[in-house]
Amino acid sequence: MASQADFRDRQFLAVIGDEDSVTGLLLAGIGHVTPPPDNQKNFLVVDAKTDNATIEATFERFTTERKDIGIVLINQHIADRIRHRIDTYTQAFPSILEIPSKDHPYDPEKDSVLRRVRRLFGE
Amino acid sequence: MSNQASAATETIDLLLEHYLALLDEYTTLRGTLNTVQADIFHSLARANFSAERGIRYYGQDYYDERMQAIRRIQIGPKDGKAEAEAEGKGDTDPGANRPVFTVRTYPPSASGSEPDTVSRTSDGSGSGTESKEAEKSVPDADAKSGGVNPSATDDSSGSVDEKQKKEQGQEKGEEPGPTSEEEQKPRPKDKPTDPLRWFGILTPLALRQAQGHAIKAVEEIIPRLATLNVEMAAIEVEVRRARKRRAKAEKAEEKRVAELADQMGHVDVSA
Repeated sequence: MASQADFRDRQFLAVIGDEDSVTGLLLAGIGHVTPPPDNQKNFLVVDAKTDNATIEATFERFTTERKDIGIVLINQHIADRIRHRIDTYTQAFPSILEIPSKDHPYDPEKDSVLRRVRRLFGE
Repeated sequence: MSNQASAATETIDLLLEHYLALLDEYTTLRGTLNTVQADIFHSLARANFSAERGIRYYGQDYYDERMQAIRRIQIGPKDGKAEAEAEGKGDTDPGANRPVFTVRTYPPSASGSEPDTVSRTSDGSGSGTESKEAEKSVPDADAKSGGVNPSATDDSSGSVDEKQKKEQGQEKGEEPGPTSEEEQKPRPKDKPTDPLRWFGILTPLALRQAQGHAIKAVEEIIPRLATLNVEMAAIEVEVRRARKRRAKAEKAEEKRVAELADQMGHVDVSA
């Protein structure tokens, strides 16, 4: 069980997603850019030109380096591109949630939580 | 089956029952999130379709590079009392230690009264009461404060008067009155702007609807899903531990039965 110190400072939601997913969530007011000189954003807009290394590095930054992020939202089709990292992620914080995107509806078969459920029941 | 093994089985059953209830809630919320996300995308598409001239696409080109989060997570214990968390007064229920995600608007206090008080000090009635206090405290001020009509339109004389009153208050070392305190307060910091303003002043209705759906997702669905995720992961660990305990107890029981059978065999031989 994670100690309370692990999550006390975690106050931001982070997003890795396509432009519409990120825009939608930023409209809700979750976007945050840290003060200069860092200027670290808590979101990544993934388009056709974004390579997997960038996505993986951002995921790494959100989950390991930054201690102020409590939930990482990631489009399911983007999570598929770094599935090995998502499936081997075992930390309690930040919590990872896969969300649907405009062009890729949610597939329960790929959801990491439901995969864990299947593993628990021995399938 | 031994007592230990049956107790472990009972524990596992209870945990799985709770786990399935959480799974049911998780799948229901997933469905809701899908619907809300679809609504967001639909509204965004409509906003882009009806975009004014000059706006190419409501997207990352318009993001504010200095944006500050106005909705932030608060992670606390199950009962949601930050005070209890700070003092370490948790419930005896082990589940109470599991964190719960909630999304709050930031800054936490809306401080809607502040602008009111500021406006009150700047209006005529406020300066009127101040002038009365000044009359009581310093006789020199009598002429000036008495001479100046509170409702006077001359701004410069009014400001000079206020400055003098402040100085008088400081010289006397009196506790400043509520109005002077408010005046001395620095202006409230710029609040983080509504993300809708990144896209202009007159944004289309569809974009505002997209924002409404997004707020619903962020405030109601996502924190609950994250909480369920953490809670389910904790139960998975407990179930695995209980299964191990049960396997151990069963092995010990088998060993004991084998030993007993061995002993019985020896008894037969000797008889």
